[in-house]
Amino acid sequence: MGWIGFPHVIYKSRPQPVDFSHKIHADKAGTKCEDCHSFRDDGTYAGAPTLDKCSSCHAAAMGDSAAEKNFIDRYVTPGKEPQWVSYARQPENVFFSHATHVKLGGLKCEQCHGAVGSSATLRPVEEDRVGGYSRDVWARGTMDDCVACHRQRHQENSCLDCHK
Amino acid sequence: MTTTRRNLFQFLGGGAVGALITPAPWRLITDTAIWSENWPGIPKPARGEIRTRFTHCSLCTAGCAMRARCVGQQPVSLAGVKTHPVSRGALCPWGIAAHHLPYHPRRLRQNPWQEAAAAVSAALSGGGRMAVLDLRPGRTASWSYRRALAALPKGVYLAPQQPGFAVDLASARTVLSFGAPLLDRWGTPGNVFAARRNFRLIQAEPVETRTAALADEWLAIRPGSESALAAWLAGELPLLEAAARTGIEEGRIAALGKALSENGPALILDRDLTSSAMALNKRFKGTLVARREAPVPESWKKAAPVSDIAAVPDRSLNVLVIDESVPGEYIPWPAIEPKLAGNAVVVAFAWTREGYGRHARYTLPAALFPEALDDIPGAIDSVAATFRLSTPLVAANGPVADPVAFVTKLAGLDAGNALRERADAIHKAGRGSLITYADSKSTAVKDLKAEDFWKGLNEGGCWMEDAVRTPLPYGRGSDKSSPIAEPDASMPLEIVVAESPVGPLCSPLLSKLYRESNLRQPVSRIVLSPFDAQAAHIKDGGAAVLETGRGRFAVLAAVDPGVPPGVVQVAIPILAGRGKVVAA
Amino acid sequence: MKRYGMSIDLDRCNGCGACMVACAVENNIPATPENSNDRKGITWIRVYKIDNKEQFPDRRSAFVPVLCQQCGHETPCVHVCPQQAVDVDPATGIVGQMPERCLGCRYCMAACPYHARYFNWWDPKWPAGMEKALNPDVAPRMRGVVEKCNFCHGRWHAAKERAAIAGKREIDPADYVPACVEACPTGALRFGDLNDPAVEVARDAKTPESFRLLEKLGTEPKIYYRSEREWVREIANAPRPGKENVRG
Repeated sequence: MGWIGFPHVIYKSRPQPVDFSHKIHADKAGTKCEDCHSFRDDGTYAGAPTLDKCSSCHAAAMGDSAAEKNFIDRYVTPGKEPQWVSYARQPENVFFSHATHVKLGGLKCEQCHGAVGSSATLRPVEEDRVGGYSRDVWARGTMDDCVACHRQRHQENSCLDCHK
Repeated sequence: MTTTRRNLFQFLGGGAVGALITPAPWRLITDTAIWSENWPGIPKPARGEIRTRFTHCSLCTAGCAMRARCVGQQPVSLAGVKTHPVSRGALCPWGIAAHHLPYHPRRLRQNPWQEAAAAVSAALSGGGRMAVLDLRPGRTASWSYRRALAALPKGVYLAPQQPGFAVDLASARTVLSFGAPLLDRWGTPGNVFAARRNFRLIQAEPVETRTAALADEWLAIRPGSESALAAWLAGELPLLEAAARTGIEEGRIAALGKALSENGPALILDRDLTSSAMALNKRFKGTLVARREAPVPESWKKAAPVSDIAAVPDRSLNVLVIDESVPGEYIPWPAIEPKLAGNAVVVAFAWTREGYGRHARYTLPAALFPEALDDIPGAIDSVAATFRLSTPLVAANGPVADPVAFVTKLAGLDAGNALRERADAIHKAGRGSLITYADSKSTAVKDLKAEDFWKGLNEGGCWMEDAVRTPLPYGRGSDKSSPIAEPDASMPLEIVVAESPVGPLCSPLLSKLYRESNLRQPVSRIVLSPFDAQAAHIKDGGAAVLETGRGRFAVLAAVDPGVPPGVVQVAIPILAGRGKVVAA
Repeated sequence: MKRYGMSIDLDRCNGCGACMVACAVENNIPATPENSNDRKGITWIRVYKIDNKEQFPDRRSAFVPVLCQQCGHETPCVHVCPQQAVDVDPATGIVGQMPERCLGCRYCMAACPYHARYFNWWDPKWPAGMEKALNPDVAPRMRGVVEKCNFCHGRWHAAKERAAIAGKREIDPADYVPACVEACPTGALRFGDLNDPAVEVARDAKTPESFRLLEKLGTEPKIYYRSEREWVREIANAPRPGKENVRG
């Protein structure tokens, strides 16, 4: 009871707007993480891709799944941006730099985001009802997890390096 | 087994201890802390790709080049463009927060266009006379007004008098300023401060303004004695007399004359660029040059001439359209009102009702920076002819009415493409270069196609003619100097304007910061010397009434021994003259 | 190991206030309420007017921008904070305030000898629509917390990301210029690494006309002021520059 029921008490579940499969895109389209989740020239991270990235291939149906048809009808054709729910959304006062962790720290996407690249569906985002953090981000809640890894790698920083 | 109260307490106690071992209470504490940091109702800034767009500030004729840092298409901050040869990357405080203007809370939200157009048509139908008062002449829009008014049977184009010269500050080595606020809201700030180390500045004015504080020498002349000093410099007044009238020792006045003659090139400026300053520049070969304008299409030149409001016969105007859409020189209403016929229809285009809207029958909402596309005429210190656009960075945040469309429609003129036609005329003339900011390049106009020239201007580029520095055919200056008022026992104090008012066209953030820091004198405050304050029984910070020829004003008085006796220091330019202060 | 500091030329500052406005725009300072005053308003940098205390016509004035002096030794606010909501970054020397950790006791405001810390008496509100123009690099603060100048850490973050994407650990100095320094039209404000002898600011700091406010307290501030006028340099020992500009 606790195992199944308790999370519903603590977490609020929000589904993703589109039933997207990373696995299909990785296998059939041969896409890697950075093909859609890219860095901009100034070093900021673009996060989830915007509609134009998807439309560049999915202007017309490429397969025969219902999910794709639904996507094209509801988003591509009317030009509406899907309101993706972020798994890793941090509070406003947190500054996380992908560029520093990936380019300078040499971290791989899977180390923090898990095996998302090979997942067939997108899990609903389970957000903590009080604090707002999602279950699926590596730092499961406060910054203690970030601090633990930073201490391990001797990257002791000042507060304002990660806060704004 | 019966459950007793003791069992209950044991269960609860055990549960509490047990709960401490679980993560639950610790999570609750940290989650609550996080929840308290993300207080609802605190706006979250929008996120998105950071882009750079360019424009020019239209808050004054300096038209400083601006780099807008945008989140998506929305500007979130503004900075200067260092590579611009005149504005040099400098912006004034008003420009820095100018992107807030579309959201100004006191912005007009009603647009009675139809009623205004109907009223104007009715007034003109019986052969009425229409005038347009353009507070910022020299724009392409100004040409459109003049063309439209030429097409109307009795159209008159009115504008504040513009000097026919430009000030070449960079060439000057000795500058004498009669109260011109050279170092605070004069010309193009970037240009002034870049040239500052080139010249010695002597500031002649009764109170210590910002410019006087930073000048190389401050001549604390008696108020109203500027003409005496000017007369001595012109050789029309003996030195002793000038010293007596100004209150400055002969030695310092003589040294001033010597500096202007021997440490040239010289430059003499005053607040209103009067004939007397012009005459002195002629005498000392001041660094003034002929003002040059960007080329206009030939067909435009048969437009209505620029008339001075004083030349309009009284009670002759049936319609007056006032273009207050961009800040310009404010002509006091008492100078305008006598020219209006009975039942004249006055339509003002403004962003607020606080200007001419107080007198107009219809006030139509104007677009605010950076919503509108407009060109900016050159500033007083713009030696080379220039053409630059204030490009629209955001969509209008509310209903807006275009004054040019209103006027040209009445005349049956289509001026919708006027800016493009002007750009094409400049391109055709083949002179000058286009300075683009994204790549910091300057391309000769000859090497550009007309289409690319227009595109470059719309992306925030600036056309500049190579500086020609035509010597000035010295004519008359403006006649704006008011006659020295006779001493009047009922108005014992001389009103001296220490600085221009801050608002209202400014971001609410700017006015709040000035209020909190007390950095600029607000319009509601006057400053008196301790001598005068005591005579009027006014304490520092006390309420007072300032009586002037233009009315009585409730003010707060500050007492400062740095202000000379006999002077009341204000921040309202139109009040200059004499006044009296009494305790409230 | 950097030590970021500023050099402010008081012979150039004309008291225009562009630095104050640029700072407020960059750091999402709210544009309301209408009834804030010099004691409740938030001005991470504030320009004061000082004078030589003479009467007309010998009165001379000057303008002094005062911001967090980024004390380098025995930093008073760091010492007194019960929450460790402020720390000194050893890599840059910047004294960083974290409003999200602050509980609003205002001990630091009492401790700061330069009165450079400000309290959020109200929740931030902007006129309708102006929230669109907020800077995403700085988080708006709720009421009840203290805030102060952090040398535009949002720009520091952006400079670090720009360097990281190019694989560099050191930022390009041209990428990191605080808003006030960028905005100053007279060139009175200069910013840079005091430890780098090649940088203008480091050289300015060593000239004889340079002084720091309240040096006698031993806080080792990193803001150097300079003026050729003796009476201006005397403010180094004054309890507070200026008299709140009430003379107008």
